[in-house]
Amino acid sequence: MSKTITKNNKKETISNKSEFKTKLMRINMGPQHPSTHGVLRLVVDLEGEVVAAVKPQIGYLHTGFEKTMENRSYMQNVTYPNRMDYTASFSHDLAYVLSAEKLMDAVVPIRAQRVRVLLTELNRIASHLIYFATGLLDMGALTLYFYTMREREDILDLFEMIAGARMNYGYFRIGGLAYDVPEGFEEKLRAFISKFPKMMQQYADLFAKNDIFLARSKGIGVLSQEIALDYAMTGPSLRATGVGLDFRKAAPYSGYEDYDFNVPTATAGDVYSRFMVRFEEMGESLKIVEQALNRLEPGPIKDPSRHISLPPRDELASSMEAVIFHFKLVTEGFHPAKAESYVATESARGELGYFLVSDGGSMPYRVKVRVPSLINLQALESACKGGLFADLVMTLASFDPILGDIDK
Amino acid sequence: MEDLVKKLLELGAEHLKADDAPNLVIDKSNIIKSLEIIKDADFNILSDLFAIDYSQYPEHDSKRFAVVYNLYSVSKNERIFLRLELDSDEKIASASDLWKSALVLEREVFDMFGIRFLGHPNLVKLHTPDELEGHPLLKDFPLGESPTLFNDGRFIDPSSFRASLKGASKGLTGYKGGARRGMKRVRE
Repeated sequence: MSKTITKNNKKETISNKSEFKTKLMRINMGPQHPSTHGVLRLVVDLEGEVVAAVKPQIGYLHTGFEKTMENRSYMQNVTYPNRMDYTASFSHDLAYVLSAEKLMDAVVPIRAQRVRVLLTELNRIASHLIYFATGLLDMGALTLYFYTMREREDILDLFEMIAGARMNYGYFRIGGLAYDVPEGFEEKLRAFISKFPKMMQQYADLFAKNDIFLARSKGIGVLSQEIALDYAMTGPSLRATGVGLDFRKAAPYSGYEDYDFNVPTATAGDVYSRFMVRFEEMGESLKIVEQALNRLEPGPIKDPSRHISLPPRDELASSMEAVIFHFKLVTEGFHPAKAESYVATESARGELGYFLVSDGGSMPYRVKVRVPSLINLQALESACKGGLFADLVMTLASFDPILGDIDK
Repeated sequence: MEDLVKKLLELGAEHLKADDAPNLVIDKSNIIKSLEIIKDADFNILSDLFAIDYSQYPEHDSKRFAVVYNLYSVSKNERIFLRLELDSDEKIASASDLWKSALVLEREVFDMFGIRFLGHPNLVKLHTPDELEGHPLLKDFPLGESPTLFNDGRFIDPSSFRASLKGASKGLTGYKGGARRGMKRVRE
């Protein structure tokens, strides 16, 4: 690239004053850079300290999930979605099983739906906690990291109780859940729910009125509503520009219509709004978690159809029927009719949906994941152009990119 | 929504059966015109754009690829799927003048399927490295897995094992576990 940009107001004033000739400089930020939140490479054109262009270069974490999932049965595929967005795994799990259930016309019992909503919302809180930890870390504010990671740890302990793993849970099944929640989970969750509002107050005290935070976030990385919609941005980043689009409200799934919660929005579209929308969203998610927990009643957790769910373990010892169904499901899996399905869900980052095409076999013929991070990231250049290089880091952090979700 | 679907049907679109969102097939020559009509009807988000390779789909007799546009309207809270069919050497017009999100989505389709979009300003690979030959999501792109070998000379070839699980085959025993919808269709 040659030095073509000459009609920039800023540049002219600088060169008039000090006789410096600024040359367009191209630098690589990443892929091994702590503030790119993973293996993201940004090719930045700089004019002095002013950003002239940003081109995200992705693919360093491309795993080929879609191709892999096209060669595994629907049941085996439950393992893969959560590996894409490793900070909000349950969102991906939920999106996949909902789409597969639509293909199969599965009936999900009410208890399973409540547990799913509960876990997905807890995971949304955990994901936003990482967002605050790393986002403010990029600004140099190290302290909040320890506070938010402390509560995230509590949430991960709860998930470990449920799924036996701290990440990549694979706990949802097509038609319900793998097994019921363990004993002691509800008490532990209640303790967390009663403690968390106080913790949120601590975070707010630490950053929400902090002068340095305000100076580095207000009016920085502004994105207008038109540009955000043009780039198909969704999720909290879109809501920060004033569009109250939330698929939990717009197209309720898993019984979200029964819960009482608000969709926080802001109008400025800057880094500050994106932070504050997510901050308020944590409180709303906590409300949903509490409601779901209060309504949790004993009951079945799987679709009763033996063509979809595995038979209970104790039946295998006494019933030949159960053994046959178990064998058929594990070796071959079920066969949905030739159809297509798509369910748009609201992940911690935006619209997330699995477009599944069935050819009548036991493996999906085509899996297309509509990942929010990849599409949101494309608006980065519009938000950063003309701003300072140091603000690029903050703007990127405020977009909440997860590289597994971008590269697939 | 009815008005919009009617306008598209006048352009020669064909209605596919779908339970919630309209799903229409349009001819390649009319794609930009129909996308403009959809955009004028306040569908301001091009949520997704992807391709499907039908080359190994059982009993599929039309063209090899389908490109699907997934559009969403914030004000109406409605979704519409528009698709077009094309062969491997055909090119289609880019939608990037209408929605900026098409820029990255069309790059992804090009990378994964080799479908070219005319008028796209920067149609280069998105996910895969430059050195990689071919387009990974094509059905004939090899998986690169090795067979499982045993001492006595037996081996399990993964692809032939999996072939029995695809829709074209009757399955290992010819038994269809059967979704409710699937069973219903058979009865009809």
